[in-house]
Amino acid sequence: MTRVSENSNSASLQFSLEKTKERLEDLQMKGSSLKKVRRPSDNPVSNVEAMSLGSVLADNQQFLRNSDVALLHLNQTEQCLDQISEILLKAKDLAIQQSSDFYDQDIRKNVSNDIIQMRNQLLAISNRRVGNKYIFSGFNTLKIPFDLDGNYTGDDGKIKLEISKDFFIPMNLTGKEVFYSDQLVAPSNIPEPDLETPSGEDSETPARDLASNNDLESRFHKRDNLFSQLTTLISALENNDPKLVQDLLEKFDSSISRIITLRTRVGSLVNTAMTTRSQIETENVDKEAHRSKLTDADVAELFSDITKQQQVLRTTYQSGKTMLNQTLLDFLR
Amino acid sequence: MTDILSIGKSGLGASKKSMEVAGHNVANANTEGYSRQRVKQTTGVPITKDGLVMGSGARVHGVERIDAKHIEQRLAGAITSHEYNHERLEQLEQVESIFNETESEGLNKIVNKFFNSFRDLANQPENETMRSVVRDNAKLIVKDFNRIRSTLDELARGVDKRLEREMVNINQISNHLADINKKITNIEALGGESGDLRDQRDVAIRSLAEYFDVSTYTDNKNHFIVNAEGVGTIISATEVQELAVKGQPLETSPNGMSGAVEIYFKNRPSGFISDKFANGKLASLLKVRNVDLRKMQTDIDQVAYTLTKSVNAIHSKGFIYKPGISIEGENAGEYTNVNFFKDLSSSENASTEMSLSDEVQEDLANIVTALAPNAPGDNRIALAISKLENAKLMAEGTSTIEDQYLKSIGHVGVQTGKARVDTEQSEGLLAQTRAIKERITGVSIDEEAANMIKFQHAYEASAKVLKAADDMFQVVLGIKR
Repeated sequence: MTRVSENSNSASLQFSLEKTKERLEDLQMKGSSLKKVRRPSDNPVSNVEAMSLGSVLADNQQFLRNSDVALLHLNQTEQCLDQISEILLKAKDLAIQQSSDFYDQDIRKNVSNDIIQMRNQLLAISNRRVGNKYIFSGFNTLKIPFDLDGNYTGDDGKIKLEISKDFFIPMNLTGKEVFYSDQLVAPSNIPEPDLETPSGEDSETPARDLASNNDLESRFHKRDNLFSQLTTLISALENNDPKLVQDLLEKFDSSISRIITLRTRVGSLVNTAMTTRSQIETENVDKEAHRSKLTDADVAELFSDITKQQQVLRTTYQSGKTMLNQTLLDFLR
Repeated sequence: MTDILSIGKSGLGASKKSMEVAGHNVANANTEGYSRQRVKQTTGVPITKDGLVMGSGARVHGVERIDAKHIEQRLAGAITSHEYNHERLEQLEQVESIFNETESEGLNKIVNKFFNSFRDLANQPENETMRSVVRDNAKLIVKDFNRIRSTLDELARGVDKRLEREMVNINQISNHLADINKKITNIEALGGESGDLRDQRDVAIRSLAEYFDVSTYTDNKNHFIVNAEGVGTIISATEVQELAVKGQPLETSPNGMSGAVEIYFKNRPSGFISDKFANGKLASLLKVRNVDLRKMQTDIDQVAYTLTKSVNAIHSKGFIYKPGISIEGENAGEYTNVNFFKDLSSSENASTEMSLSDEVQEDLANIVTALAPNAPGDNRIALAISKLENAKLMAEGTSTIEDQYLKSIGHVGVQTGKARVDTEQSEGLLAQTRAIKERITGVSIDEEAANMIKFQHAYEASAKVLKAADDMFQVVLGIKR
């Protein structure tokens, strides 16, 4: 027979009451916050995982914002290319008409006025802005990319944006790519940033060529560009020189096909950005669900637990009532 | 005939004494540490007269205290372990709350925002507002690193203060124990009952057991000795070895903070005994301060240092763009090599010393985005900095800044969770041991009530014996008439 003393009696009752109340309190806290992980120690693994998921989700929001910016610029660029190709097609049509000996000098003069207008239009397009930045001046976004003579003053910087983790797309075409050249892309001489850097102070400084811009400009001058093509057409018409106009036709053709190629490229970038967007959006839903599973309380389970604990508490009170309030003395009167 | 009277008298006395002890038991039913007592009663020495052996009634030869020495020792041990776990849990819960981000904005979210603000800046490097967002986020980072580190430091200093106070408590208990020892010796020398004092001594030993493992024994000179397990004798009869603490300078500090205290015996100031405590509150406090808090302090410093160094390494390669100023070959140097955070020489206290560089503090234009000069639209530096978020910069190139920070939080979480489980277990064990002890030594009102009835009846019966003897005397005396 185990002896039961007053203190062991009340101590055991107290112990079970406290235990039950503690559990109930914990459940109630979970109920009011609807979170099953309220502090790291509740479940260290889930907590840490949820935190890193939170970062991934925040990053994804950022990537969505980034692709908005990229799309804004790419759409602008696409519109510009569209307008450029229209102008070139029109100019080519006119050039075809004027390449024969059918028209006389006066008419050619009039046509040349049209072409001057087209050249101005082209210049306006080349200096198009989004917000306060010129979209065709490479990195030199605050400076007008083309002067009145059609000389390029920007650089060949490609502004890249991260639209998904570690996935970058360029959001601009440089004025050089669009308006100059028979070659599509000149090799970039501005180095990519060194992404593997930081651990130490001793990592190499990327090479910089401060004179590069000047160099580029001089190279551009020698190269054929859309403005000079129109200028040549204008002077050919003014000089009534159908032979020269005829020579230009081929150049117009290659320019038009170049612009179309560029449009396709921009179009595919837009597509990529859109696809990535929807990928991120679906990913977010999955991640959010996973995070919820990690830290949010299962309401049904929680409330059934609470009810169970309340029942336990009530039973404890009930048994305590009979145990504490009665002694042998009650029956000796 | 007189025998009957004296037998009756002895019965009355024994019943009265038993009743007294029962009353004492009931009165002390709720006294902390009280052990029930009972009367040691035997038959009186029989007398041989005329060849007949005659009983001489009952004899009370003492009041016995029901004790449970083996349980007492186990109880002290259970208290020590429970206090260790409980104290550890309380301390770690405070550490944990520093890193709790489930509801609030914590460092992890802020650092993530910081990197994303660089992505925003990369979207619009020409935009001054974006730069100010970057700077504001950087300020938040600095503030949060400072907050975390200073809270950790405060906790460590709190432990030092606690240790100082606990020494006072321990010495008080020790002196109290020595005092009780003296009283017990005195009373027992006079042949008195020392049961209640022994109860008090057990209570005092149990309070001492909260601080460290205690073992007790009585040596051959009948001296009561109290030992702190692994440390040394604290009390020998009436002699007390007092404990004290002393703040240490930075060089010899046990946790890298100046003023951290070490424990020593007051009469042996050179020998530190802090490491010798293996269990109980003292060991718990020391471990939290020297191991857990220390680890978090260095971890957070490492994170702050890596962040500072890596952001600076990239930022300093970029070129500042100022409208209207064209950078040419010779004066290019003026516009590059700008740090974002103030440079740190070592990771020591990095989270306290972290701050924005003066340049960035003064002028938003000094936040660099461009890798090339004269390029307001160049976002490559901003991009490269934002990419640090996923770069494996820490733990020998195996984890990112976030990984490392989360690892630390995970560590605190695991430690706290473990302490919680341990505490629950030791609490259960303690309650169980207490119950066992109470079952043996505690007062049961039911039992006492039954005894009281028994003693009352015995008393009445003994009185009846006297009455009978009296009647018999009357008969004898009546013969003469």
